Amino acid sequence: MDKAIFTFIDRCVACKGCEIACAVEHSRAKSLFGALAESPHPRPRVRVENAGVHSYPARCMHCEDAACIAACPMGAMTRNAATNAVYVDESKCIGCWMCVMVCPFGSVSADPVAKKAFKCDRCPDRTARGEDPACVAACPTRAMIYATPEELAAHRRQATAMNAAGKPVARVAGNVDLWRSLKGGTQK
Amino acid sequence: MKIVIIGNGPAAVAAAEAARELDGHCGITMISKEAVPFYSPCPLAEYVEASVPRDHLFLRDEKFYRDQDITTFFGHPATAIGTTARRVTVGSGSDAAELPYERLLIASGARAIMPPIPGLAGTPGVFALKTLADADGIVARLPAARRAVVIGSGFIGLEAAQALVRRGLAVTVVEALSQVLPQMLDAEMAALVETRLRDHGVDVRVNSPAEAVLGGQAGVSAVRVGGQEIPCDLVVCAVGVRPDLSLLAGSGISTATGILVNEFMETNQPDVYAAGDIVEGFDRQGQRRVLPIWPNAVNGGRIAGGNMVAARTRSFRGLDGINVVRIFDLPVASFGSSAGERSLRYAGNGILKKLSLSSGRVVGAQFFGDVNATGLYHELMNKGVDVGSFESELLSPGFGYGCLIPRPPLPTRLAA
Repeated sequence: MDKAIFTFIDRCVACKGCEIACAVEHSRAKSLFGALAESPHPRPRVRVENAGVHSYPARCMHCEDAACIAACPMGAMTRNAATNAVYVDESKCIGCWMCVMVCPFGSVSADPVAKKAFKCDRCPDRTARGEDPACVAACPTRAMIYATPEELAAHRRQATAMNAAGKPVARVAGNVDLWRSLKGGTQK
Repeated sequence: MKIVIIGNGPAAVAAAEAARELDGHCGITMISKEAVPFYSPCPLAEYVEASVPRDHLFLRDEKFYRDQDITTFFGHPATAIGTTARRVTVGSGSDAAELPYERLLIASGARAIMPPIPGLAGTPGVFALKTLADADGIVARLPAARRAVVIGSGFIGLEAAQALVRRGLAVTVVEALSQVLPQMLDAEMAALVETRLRDHGVDVRVNSPAEAVLGGQAGVSAVRVGGQEIPCDLVVCAVGVRPDLSLLAGSGISTATGILVNEFMETNQPDVYAAGDIVEGFDRQGQRRVLPIWPNAVNGGRIAGGNMVAARTRSFRGLDGINVVRIFDLPVASFGSSAGERSLRYAGNGILKKLSLSSGRVVGAQFFGDVNATGLYHELMNKGVDVGSFESELLSPGFGYGCLIPRPPLPTRLAA
């Protein structure tokens, strides 16, 4: 399967680094200082939300059977054939907000200035270069990882097995320390 | 397998694509009274407004039908359905053709309601805004038009009014009921919409049923309302749409307001399916409804298309009743009922949001000025989520999906 962004909710510390990285990635300048000078300011497509005792970096789930694609009367909501990510073709979007009405996660918003639907595009430029999406790369606690479901499952199995054997766990591909996530704390 | 589809709108095309994806070899024939390829009727007001070019309306081109190996009868209306002989008649008289089917989908949509107002039918310069031909007609008349009357203040009527204002016309909207958007909003919300329309130069008249359309063969000259004549050169009649059942006479297909379908999009006749604006199906709460909106058409079409190839493999979770309209760029949305046991309210910065709750569940919403996360509230209603534990956060600006995540247990160390 294709890669997706997975969240380890207990690791998010609400630093909002993902929000800044997302806004910068979607700026024209693609740098923080350049982005600050742009008008209107580029806005993040990920939002850290309160989730009880935790926080949660909410963004588009790129649903397999995406309600927003079915609902778009302009054919503007599109799936990227290479990455399977769902994105807005701004040349077609007329800002009717039907996608906003049907997204069960509240992850498509109405951009009042551009009058275009606004959502996570999972950073096609970055992933084409083999990099993680900006939010994932920016997260200092690795609360998000970009991996296939199979990779995620394999890594977690490995971490559990290593744990049962009392052996230290190597950092897995992408430098993701799933061990810490499973343990929920630092390893002794 | 021979599949015949009557219609060429979102439900028809979604069904054809779903059937073709499952079966590369089945015969698919599409019949449409309109001669053009699949286009979206949703941005017709924007096309009139000239903010969306005509070619952007078309979502498929002729090549699509060839590539998908679909036989087309476009510009030739289906005129009769024989459910016993399993045939559809296309055209009439000497041009008539009989098409046999093994599976039939009726997705021929709705038609604009033209109320029996004297002079409305047949007077040049009077249009609905339902089809591309209607929109082309309005666009062609614009150079000679200075004043317009829009009959009806549903979302099509208001979109038309806005488009005509932006094309430089003086526009009057006449509404028979006591408020605008009567199907969509309560009186308080509607008053905000009326104010915004007036601020942008629209003459809004509620409690004002149109009594007569005046004019002759030269064209419309006025609309009479409450005994008073409102001069105009253009009339848009937008009092709603209704499933077009004219084709079904003698077919034995059961109907009420629309064609009655079950969750598989089956009609009462064997191997005859229906989808799109013509159906009367069940909403998520199990009520029979006619809900002619784009997402219902696409989703219903996909279900019907799949089931025509492999019976009862797909079922519909229910029609959605959601509304969204922009009033001079300000979004306004609603779903469900405004008559809950209690109402939550948020007001500020020109925004008004109301949520209706009953038994701790969301039963409806109305939003003016900000529609973000409407889909999330709609999902809370559809799933019947008990919102009691986070009710105070529901309309706060920080509310989002994260608030719904069940609190996970605090991390515990695994035994070494």
